[in-house]
Amino acid sequence: MSFIEFVSKNYNEILKSLVRHIELVGISILIGILISIPLGIFLTRHKRVAGPVLALAGTIQTIPGLVMLGFALVLIGIGMLPAIIVLTLYAILPILRNTYTGITEVDKSYTEASRGIGMTNMQTLFKVEIPIALPTIITGIRLSTVYIVSWATLAGLIGAGGLGDLIWTGLSTYNTKYILAGAVPSAILAFILNGLIGLLERILTPRGLRRSRI
Amino acid sequence: MSGALLEGILEHMAIVSIAVLISSVLGIIMGIIAYWVRFLDSVILWVSEVLQTIPSLALLALLMIIFGLGDITMIVGLVLYALLPIVRNTYTGLKNVSPHLKDAARGMGMSKMQRLFKVEIPLSFPLIFSGIKIALVNSLSVAVMGVLIGANGLGTIIYRGIQSRNMMNILMGAIPVVIMALVFDFGMSKIEKKLIKRTK
Amino acid sequence: MKLKNFMGLAIALVFLLSIALTGCSGGDKIVIGSKDFSENILLGEIFSQLIEAKTDIKVERKLNLGGTFVCFEAIKNGQIDIYPEYTGTGLTAQLKMDVIGEPDEAYRVVAEEFNKQFDIKWLSPLGFNNTYTLAVNDKVYQQYGVETFSDLAKISENLVFGAEHEFFDRQDGYEGLVEKYSLKFKGEPKKMNVSLKYQAIGNGDMDVTDAFATDGAIKQYNLKVLTDDLGFFPPYYAAPIIRNATLERYPELEDILNALANVIDDAAMTDLNYKVDVEGKDVAKVAKEFLNEKVLLD
Repeated sequence: MSFIEFVSKNYNEILKSLVRHIELVGISILIGILISIPLGIFLTRHKRVAGPVLALAGTIQTIPGLVMLGFALVLIGIGMLPAIIVLTLYAILPILRNTYTGITEVDKSYTEASRGIGMTNMQTLFKVEIPIALPTIITGIRLSTVYIVSWATLAGLIGAGGLGDLIWTGLSTYNTKYILAGAVPSAILAFILNGLIGLLERILTPRGLRRSRI
Repeated sequence: MSGALLEGILEHMAIVSIAVLISSVLGIIMGIIAYWVRFLDSVILWVSEVLQTIPSLALLALLMIIFGLGDITMIVGLVLYALLPIVRNTYTGLKNVSPHLKDAARGMGMSKMQRLFKVEIPLSFPLIFSGIKIALVNSLSVAVMGVLIGANGLGTIIYRGIQSRNMMNILMGAIPVVIMALVFDFGMSKIEKKLIKRTK
Repeated sequence: MKLKNFMGLAIALVFLLSIALTGCSGGDKIVIGSKDFSENILLGEIFSQLIEAKTDIKVERKLNLGGTFVCFEAIKNGQIDIYPEYTGTGLTAQLKMDVIGEPDEAYRVVAEEFNKQFDIKWLSPLGFNNTYTLAVNDKVYQQYGVETFSDLAKISENLVFGAEHEFFDRQDGYEGLVEKYSLKFKGEPKKMNVSLKYQAIGNGDMDVTDAFATDGAIKQYNLKVLTDDLGFFPPYYAAPIIRNATLERYPELEDILNALANVIDDAAMTDLNYKVDVEGKDVAKVAKEFLNEKVLLD
């Protein structure tokens, strides 16, 4: 049967895998944001700790996906939970680093001006630094999202579901249609999220700071 | 067992080295073309970004269908994956060379080629080198997935460890990867700093 | 300047060295592959060690290569020369023919077709039938007292099914099984790497799985294996399969591997699997012990 026939026959399975994939990515990014942004802000106020913390997060990034899944499997087990933990860990670095550099790179003249007009530390943070750093932070979220849409495909190995299931089935039976049924939606999902969040980046860049982003 | 580990490390390094080598050559050429041929620049950059956005497992699975099992398929995959950092950094590096220097070179009667090799590339080299560094460190990690498409490398030991729920095996395969990634990242960053100092 | 040059040279040297050292293979060798579960890996290792013991041929192992079809592709295009296959799998999954219940007939047909269509020869069966079965965990058995697949069908809507990815895309797999027995499991079937099924059942993450009859973990997790009363699954007798081209180059391989004919029965294979999967023993050691005791009696 052709690929089109294959898709219509297995529509249900593909849709369920897509939904599960979005769940895995969504939950992990959310938790990642909740951890990374406050942590990043904290690091800008305690710069001495920033170096080691960022280095640690960076090291986690060098650990291959299969390895992290392996750890999660041995330590926790199978299913969505270990997968979400791994994906969340992967999501942390880009958001954390971008939060940190985004805020620390805010032009000193702005922060000085805000102190000058009597703003407290908190006010400076929320009214000046974060708004200016926001595009950079969103970039970090975008990078993390694309990154974990990709790694979430491995999660099928440990029974977490997602589009990876289709790819794994295709890999074990050398079946192009299954592979495409998993590969194409996951690639499209990555593009769409990349584009949407990129759009958000541009919208949120304060007009005065708009510059071209590659 | 350590014989298998050593073999795995060497195989892993070989695959990654070959891929990064090819990718560097291809990537730099593509970066130069993007720089020279204005209307192609967004196309080339877009293609490189698209390749990196495709989930790696998906890309590898598709390549397996086309190229079959084995190291070659893995190398092709790594090359495609490594293009973005190298192409983008080459392009950006060349574009950011000070216009004054480009004019000066033109003024001295240099041809486009000469300007490229004598002025623009040397000045962009730190950035290009940085792109290669990123490509290399990423490739070390991605290459672990080679085991899934019949390629060699440290992925073999790691995968076997996952299947037998054996932490030792997973670590035995993973630690060399992480160490290599960290060492190369550190070493090449140091070289990068020296290069930047030199071009100032 | 000097440091940079030195480091660059050192890195380049390491790269070239690694390429050289791994590129230096080729020449007189055969490649033995295997699927990605312990039994098949064990068999592949046994073949390898046996050939190494009896000949001077250099053996390269590509064990744990992947699923059935990955190995099949690999042997078809010459990337591997030998791997352990099962008659039922060859018949339904690869030849896509209907089930043949009689073991000898199944072997005859599969050997004939593989030779004709793929130029691959089936050597003598090893003596055990590692059939697909359905197994339930002890809790389910205590609760429902199921003995056959048909029994299972009656209460299947209360149970969660899980299997390795390959099972869902085979003629002798999930779809056919569900249709024949009118099974309707609870929710979506769970899919995972073949080695994780038993852990999942043990955890209670699922209730039923497609157990392989000779899996060591069945004993470990105290699972109840059910009877295929309507005969959906074909017999799965294991045998080495080898490319005819390879056999022409090394005709001695036929007799050497046929020395394993009927040497391993169901119980023996389960026992070997148990050693690797449950006791965690090293595959190479278990293979070596087995060969020393049972085959290389000289």
